[in-house]
Amino acid sequence: MRSDRLLAALAALTGLALVAVGVIYIALNEHDLPSFFPGHVSHPASHHHVKHGIAAILLGLACLAFAWFRTGPRERGAASTP
Amino acid sequence: MLVYAAGGGHVITYFQAVVIGLLQGVTELFPISSLGHAVILPKLLGWHLSQKQPYFLAFLVATHLATAIVLFLFFLPEWLRILRGLGRSLRDRQISPRDADARLAWLLVVGTIPAGLLGLLFEHPLRSLFANPKAAAAFLMLNGLLLFASELLRRRAPGAPERARALEQPGETPTSPEAEKRLATLGFREAVGVGTAQAAALFPGISRAGVTMGGGLFVGLTHEDAARYAFLLATPIIGAAALLKLPDLFGSNGNGVRGPALAGAVCAGVAAWASVKFLMRYFETNRLTPFAAYCLLAGTAALLVFVF
Repeated sequence: MRSDRLLAALAALTGLALVAVGVIYIALNEHDLPSFFPGHVSHPASHHHVKHGIAAILLGLACLAFAWFRTGPRERGAASTP
Repeated sequence: MLVYAAGGGHVITYFQAVVIGLLQGVTELFPISSLGHAVILPKLLGWHLSQKQPYFLAFLVATHLATAIVLFLFFLPEWLRILRGLGRSLRDRQISPRDADARLAWLLVVGTIPAGLLGLLFEHPLRSLFANPKAAAAFLMLNGLLLFASELLRRRAPGAPERARALEQPGETPTSPEAEKRLATLGFREAVGVGTAQAAALFPGISRAGVTMGGGLFVGLTHEDAARYAFLLATPIIGAAALLKLPDLFGSNGNGVRGPALAGAVCAGVAAWASVKFLMRYFETNRLTPFAAYCLLAGTAALLVFVF
């Protein structure tokens, strides 16, 4: 039970982080991205890595959904987590 | 009537737009690869249209969006039940095995995510590498072999109807149509596998509908259920991909192609409606084999034409 909650908490934190990363990718151009982000360039640029952003948000939402169901009530004998 | 780009160069005619629109509507849903045909046919007809050119990609956005809208409308009652099931599961924080709509909704979600991610990451490089007629013809042949293999490897037991009956509870009043109950018997791992297989359609010549139906057959669905699942699975991903690229159509890349794109979209929508109606009836009693034979023959013939 304790490991279940730990897993859900980790998934929720990862999900929130990924959503934040996705928003940063969409909002900032590749020059303004933090230097440790894949896709960052040092020269001035106006291109936004929208696809990276959408991918990160999708993964983040999947992690949040996992955490949501993991901490919900369970039916006996039911596989209730995707 | 010819349409010219802002720079004066020839872009696409209305006749070409109508032909490609009809072709897109049919081939997106038949298991014979829309992308492959969109690469091969213009070359066979001597049309100078390139899959890699921004104006042509902008044109294809409109035809794909029309196809997705038609698919959504065709299965509108199913989508409404699925969305209600999704809401119920989020509210209750569980996916009850007795709630077929909720379960089907999450099967579609987990099937869409991997294909969506792979598409986002690899669509452009794969298109750059393989969107040429010879490669598309070779992949069309491979698509035929995959369809043949799907029929050969089809798992007959445990059959989907038996699995659906096993789900039914004594005295329970069914709230979902039988087809959805049968689809909801898929496992999440199976859904991820079938969904991920969609990514193979990033190769021009490999059919999204074909690999998804093949995957459905492989995990024990009937032909009709596999087709229904393939169309449900295709709707969000085709729609999302088209919406993502919609700015191309309304930006500078769309200059000179918006009129033909509208004509192509209308034709694609009509063709898609007729195709899905036909295919849902066809797969009640028929198999993938004729499409496999077509892909193998058409791919071989096209390859011979392009090589010699």
